[in-house]
Amino acid sequence: MENMEERLSGKKFWQELLKGIVLTNPVFVLVLGLCPTLAVTTSVNNALGMGAGVIFVLLGSNVIISLIRKVTPNMVRIPVFIVVIAAFVTILSLLFEAYLPPLYESLGIYLPLIVVNCIILGRAEVFASKNSVLLSMADGIGSGIGFTVALIIIAFLREVLGTGSLVIFGRHLFSIPVLSVSPLSIFIMPPGAFIIIAVLMALFRLLGVLKYE
Amino acid sequence: MNSLLTIFIGMVLINNFILTKFLGLCPFFGVSKKLSNAVSMGTAVTLVMLIASAATGVIYNYILVPYKVQFMNIIIYILVIAALVQIVEIVIKRTNIILYNALGIYLPLITTNCAVLGVTLINAQNNYSFVEGIIAALGGGLGFTLMLIIMSAIREKNELADTPKAMKGLPIAFIIASLLSLAFMGFNGLL
Amino acid sequence: MAGKENKKIGTRIMENKFYPVIFLAVIVFVAVVLLMYVNNITTAKILEQREAKIVDQLENIFPEMDRYELKDEIFIVIKDNETIGYTFVAKGRGYGGEISTLVGIDKDLAIKQITVLSNTETPGLGTRITLASFTDQFKGLKSADVVLSRDGGKVDAITGATISSRAVADSVKKEMDLKIEIIKKNNY
Repeated sequence: MENMEERLSGKKFWQELLKGIVLTNPVFVLVLGLCPTLAVTTSVNNALGMGAGVIFVLLGSNVIISLIRKVTPNMVRIPVFIVVIAAFVTILSLLFEAYLPPLYESLGIYLPLIVVNCIILGRAEVFASKNSVLLSMADGIGSGIGFTVALIIIAFLREVLGTGSLVIFGRHLFSIPVLSVSPLSIFIMPPGAFIIIAVLMALFRLLGVLKYE
Repeated sequence: MNSLLTIFIGMVLINNFILTKFLGLCPFFGVSKKLSNAVSMGTAVTLVMLIASAATGVIYNYILVPYKVQFMNIIIYILVIAALVQIVEIVIKRTNIILYNALGIYLPLITTNCAVLGVTLINAQNNYSFVEGIIAALGGGLGFTLMLIIMSAIREKNELADTPKAMKGLPIAFIIASLLSLAFMGFNGLL
Repeated sequence: MAGKENKKIGTRIMENKFYPVIFLAVIVFVAVVLLMYVNNITTAKILEQREAKIVDQLENIFPEMDRYELKDEIFIVIKDNETIGYTFVAKGRGYGGEISTLVGIDKDLAIKQITVLSNTETPGLGTRITLASFTDQFKGLKSADVVLSRDGGKVDAITGATISSRAVADSVKKEMDLKIEIIKKNNY
């Protein structure tokens, strides 16, 4: 009996995780968390940093909110969620400031803005407050990875087109010969961000990954 | 006075919340299909930004800084904003039920609007005084509203155009935003 | 038996009309305590990072430096046990926000070099204040000349970025005057 339950919940764990990455990808499917997405994707470095941060907060807040879900009164649940999320974001901010100062500086105000990232509050309200801790963890990691993947795709395009080369953690990965001499810098700037995400969305629709309007 | 004007113009045109800083995008793309909604939304957000700026400005300058607990700003700011939006929601419901219905779910969503928390964080980051913070919020809110109005006017017309299927809805809206952003970049050398 | 009784007490507590508020208060309290704890353990490292960042740039301005002493927020640069210069941070309100500039002056109180540490100016325009083409102008200037040319000084502003340029010039001059006074008063 217990063995089967264990195996079932194990499978569910990975299901929830995968769902978060593909079916309900926060950026391309749910169109949430746009603000940091466009601002932070000027380099893959920043995208990775932001993604890691969001996974940390999602994991933490999902777990805690799931833990206290049975004793949280309905009336104050949104403020409670907000406090929990804000606490984790503050911890993240302090940790980055202390141990990853260059990342802390490039992310700027978009780091504390993680607190109003609709993805996190959304997952808390829709999932974590109604499911077990283990499944909430899976959902948190899955949604977080989904968000990070979306960020990396956008950042990769913007950085390669906009600067002609790719630099991660200070290591120069590659340069495209013609582009690195005269890069299409529009992609590093705001208009380019909008264009890239428009094209990606249209592309995903054509590929059948996204639904048409 | 000179610097206040600089802050104001800077926030509206050059560091436009939507087109440059990417703050307030969710309502921007969600609400901007009808002009009347756009105006209501813009005004509501600007109002909340102003009051939030005032409240957080006081908290920052007179409590957080003197006691050196600036790191508490995230949690305090968002709680203040959440409370403020609740109050604004109740006030609007009591005084203008039409507006209340027009805004619908987007009213409580102002709490998670990056523009509101964004302006309070910008004020803290730049160490703005109480007055400077309010001017910044006014500029930011106005810039946001301006964009919302322009965007909805364009999108209303765009509904009648023959957009390719894959681009219909959000993608074309993003393209419109990119063109607006490109145009506004012309303001960069203004000051 | 004991389990069932606990459950009953639990639901009774939760039905109390003050429970929601008290619950929220408890959560806030726990959060605040946790944050104060994390802040405590990271403060030292954060201050360390800030100083390290400045020291890095310090070695750029005075490569011949042996060591430094930090007094009154002035980095006194020392070589062979003799003071060869001073370095300090000037902060000013630019266009997008605060601009932080590291100013290195030599024994004659003229600028050796300045380095813009951080800024949030307009990319491509205001951010040009970090380029050598702008900062090199400051080399050798005495405080009185650290003013924009259009205001009567010797620093040419960047076209299209007057505010950013002026912010740097003004903040550098102001801080120079302040720090030079302290240096003279204490005979650093």
